[in-house]
Amino acid sequence: MRKLRALTMRLIGMTRTGQHDADFAAELESHLAFHIEDGIHAGLTPEEARRQALIRLGGVEQTRQTYSERASLPWLESVVRDMRYAMRGFRRNPVFTVTVIATLALGIGATTAVFSVVDRILFRSLPYAHDDRIVSIGLVQSLERQEFMLGGFFYEWRDNQKPFEAFASQGTMLHACDLVESNPAQLNCMQAQAGFLPLLGISPVLGRNFLPEEDLPNGPRVALISYGLWLDHYNRDAGILNRQIDVDGSPARVIGVLPRGFELPTLQAPDVMLPMALNEGLERKALPGTPMRVFARLSPGVSIAQAKAEMEPLFLHSQASIPEQIRKDFHLSIRSLRDRETKDVQLTAWILLGSVLAVMLITCANVASLMMARGETRERELAVRSAVGASRGRLIRQTLTEAALLSLAGAAAGMALAEGLLRVFLAIAPTGIPFLARAGLDLRVALFSVLLSMLCGAIFGLLPALQAPCAVALAARAAKSRKRTVLRRTLVAGQIAISMVLLTGAALLLRSFENIEEQSLGIETQGVLTARIALPGFRYDTGQKKMEFYLQVEAALRRLPGIRAVSVSDSVPPGGWNSGRRYSDLAVEGKPDPAQGTGGSVVSREVTPDYFRALNIPIIRGRSFTEENRGAGAHLVVLSRLMAARMFPGEDPTGKRVRTGHDGPWETVVGVAEDVKNNGLTEQDEPELYSLRRSAVEDWGPPAPVMIIDAALPPKTVAPWVRSQIAGLDPTVPVEIETLAHGVSKLADRPRFETALLGFFAFCGLLMAVIGLYGVIAFLAAQRTQEIGVRMALGATRLDILRLIGGEGVRLIVLGGAVGLGVALATAQLLTSLLYNVGLHDPAMYAAATFLLVLVALAATLIPARAAMKTDPMAALRTE
Amino acid sequence: MGDKADVWQGTLSLMVLRTLQVLGPLHGYGLARRIEQTSGDLLQLNYGTLYPALLKLEQEGFIRSHWGVSENNRRAKYYELTKAGQRQVKKAAADWEQTTAILARFLTPAEEA
Repeated sequence: MRKLRALTMRLIGMTRTGQHDADFAAELESHLAFHIEDGIHAGLTPEEARRQALIRLGGVEQTRQTYSERASLPWLESVVRDMRYAMRGFRRNPVFTVTVIATLALGIGATTAVFSVVDRILFRSLPYAHDDRIVSIGLVQSLERQEFMLGGFFYEWRDNQKPFEAFASQGTMLHACDLVESNPAQLNCMQAQAGFLPLLGISPVLGRNFLPEEDLPNGPRVALISYGLWLDHYNRDAGILNRQIDVDGSPARVIGVLPRGFELPTLQAPDVMLPMALNEGLERKALPGTPMRVFARLSPGVSIAQAKAEMEPLFLHSQASIPEQIRKDFHLSIRSLRDRETKDVQLTAWILLGSVLAVMLITCANVASLMMARGETRERELAVRSAVGASRGRLIRQTLTEAALLSLAGAAAGMALAEGLLRVFLAIAPTGIPFLARAGLDLRVALFSVLLSMLCGAIFGLLPALQAPCAVALAARAAKSRKRTVLRRTLVAGQIAISMVLLTGAALLLRSFENIEEQSLGIETQGVLTARIALPGFRYDTGQKKMEFYLQVEAALRRLPGIRAVSVSDSVPPGGWNSGRRYSDLAVEGKPDPAQGTGGSVVSREVTPDYFRALNIPIIRGRSFTEENRGAGAHLVVLSRLMAARMFPGEDPTGKRVRTGHDGPWETVVGVAEDVKNNGLTEQDEPELYSLRRSAVEDWGPPAPVMIIDAALPPKTVAPWVRSQIAGLDPTVPVEIETLAHGVSKLADRPRFETALLGFFAFCGLLMAVIGLYGVIAFLAAQRTQEIGVRMALGATRLDILRLIGGEGVRLIVLGGAVGLGVALATAQLLTSLLYNVGLHDPAMYAAATFLLVLVALAATLIPARAAMKTDPMAALRTE
Repeated sequence: MGDKADVWQGTLSLMVLRTLQVLGPLHGYGLARRIEQTSGDLLQLNYGTLYPALLKLEQEGFIRSHWGVSENNRRAKYYELTKAGQRQVKKAAADWEQTTAILARFLTPAEEA
């Protein structure tokens, strides 16, 4: 307390040193007067008395000095002085200051923004207890790459497994459910077993989890609701517990509220969670039984590999009960929760992180280079200051103060930039990147990058200060700075190398993105709309009701003006979900079944006749489906060109019969359609089988149909009409209308995101490397002004001078570029899975990147070299 | 500031506080003379160190100062104890007594130990 008070007083003392000094001078004077008076009383002469008094005081100046040191905070005063001095220096040299701050801001801003995004994907712990031990376990097969489980296997695995301390499942997908009450709402529901939330370490913020007896077929109907639903729909009603709500027409008692922001390990956020309530006895006997997603928590010390080895026998046992034809296609898979959630974006995240670290490296090199250059130009000044008595410590502190001030300014600008960049990321990011929507600026990262850049600045800024106090520097600016010039050249060559790597990466991605954008999709997207209708399952509970509704919608839409074609399908090319099949499940009449597990997967779509017209897919053989076919009972199919070539090599398929599955009806091939892009924008096309969607109840089961509308009028005009037509049939169903072009463009979001980001970093890196190069060449030219003068006086032509200075830059460009090119070629394979139709070592792209780099770098060299060329020899010789 | 100065300053502040407690407000010179007299002239203060010590005590709030006029009509800065200073004298005196008592035990003749 007393210390603090004293400190405050001293701080205040700092602001009024003058007043203090005057006061103390008066006090000293009065002290001396008393003392002298006493001396005179004791019989001394006034002179002697004064002498004695001064001796006893121990010197007026020293006393004054110790007093004023005590009166304020001398070290703080010197810091303030250093800062003022630094600010004055910055103002005198604004180009240096702005360059350093801008460089720092760019480096710090980009690093912070990117790290804030990838942190959750790669590093941050997931929001569950023991998240490092939670795994996703189940079967995978060629048509489903995410682990899934079947009721027929689940209980056996659960009861006999050893590696896990918890083992429980949730449903396979969120499903639309209706909250039926005075204030109705359509919600997302999810089923989970009683042990599921405890496995994740999640407890409701209010109420409790499901009890085992509630997770039984005829147990009490209970529900957990999300925090969001509680907040928005029930206004945080404290009496929500035990309230009866009506979900899809059956009552359930609310027993708890889930934590705010809760997400399932499948990254879905349900509004309502219900007990799975499976009938264990029936499931054990059933095959396949209810599908589900199983998560498990490893016992401490058990690795995933161990767990997999231990689960293998159980899997083999279960596998034996899968029908023989498809048995081989099923595998056991156990993955960490992080891999389950973010596997497919981890590579992108690493590449972003890598490129932003490269930018940070360039930043550091640039700041270091700039600080060194500044240190060198100030060598004389430092030497003078040290000659007049500044200690080495003072000079070092001065340099550190400057580095700190620059870093702080850079950090402030960088944080603003990071905030902006993060917003841009959010705006252009594809929907599939987990956690992105909730990414916020990470202050730890910001702090880290600020410290890093400060360190760069400080270390390299210190070099001259450490060596400064030597008399030589006063007289000459001689060869001893050569060592540091070598260091600076190395830094610049390094920068060029790193930007080369970034540039080639960006060029490859850009090329790949171009390929994606410009490829032919095989369909016409112009003027095509898709409409998805979320029919509440409990009201449209039979195939009949669904079919009638969709047929009414189809008829209503056809009546709209400017509509060319309306089709009902179950999926839309070129990407997104589609109903896949194994090629080996298809049989051709009169031919042996294809060997099991061969042929990969194929796409199958159930469409009404207008499908080919709506998307403008040409029929290259036979005919399309007709409207009359819909009413008749016959099963008809159209094959894609790929499929026809595969099933009927060298034959005409029309009139032949095929069937899907081994018990399905035979279906007659009526025609062959041209291939379309049907497996995403970047994957190999798959053979496709179009089945006629007849007006028969059996053709209207799940999945939910999607309407495809081809309009001659602009989508903006048509979309509201479509909406109102559907609303006219049932005003309560939510409708999602999208142009097909937009849907396709969304598929390219991810490559667009990757390309834009890497391109941006490459641009930043190039910019900074060029600034660094320019700085070094300009500095070298300035340093050699005198030499240039001498050379010119001795007869060197201007061209010789250009060669002298420019040659330096060219050497750096060639060295850095070559190293960068080598590294780029060696690391290109990291990009493999991000590239589409581009060779890893595509010569054109490497040439383009090299050309751009060399062009810009040469410009940065030529500007100072030209300036040197125009040196007036007389003026140059006259400079010291 | 080395350790010696700290110890010295510590005892000096106690002497200052105690003198002010006994005698009431004093100016710097009077205070210094008074301390020397109390010590039986065994101590010879370097007057230059007295003023920073006074300043420190004032910053810590144990004493306060004001300008006044002496009996022989000279302008002088007078120092006096604050309430916190009164408490500090008591505390510092107790600390000091304890320290000297402990030291005394080390320094008593060996046969008693």
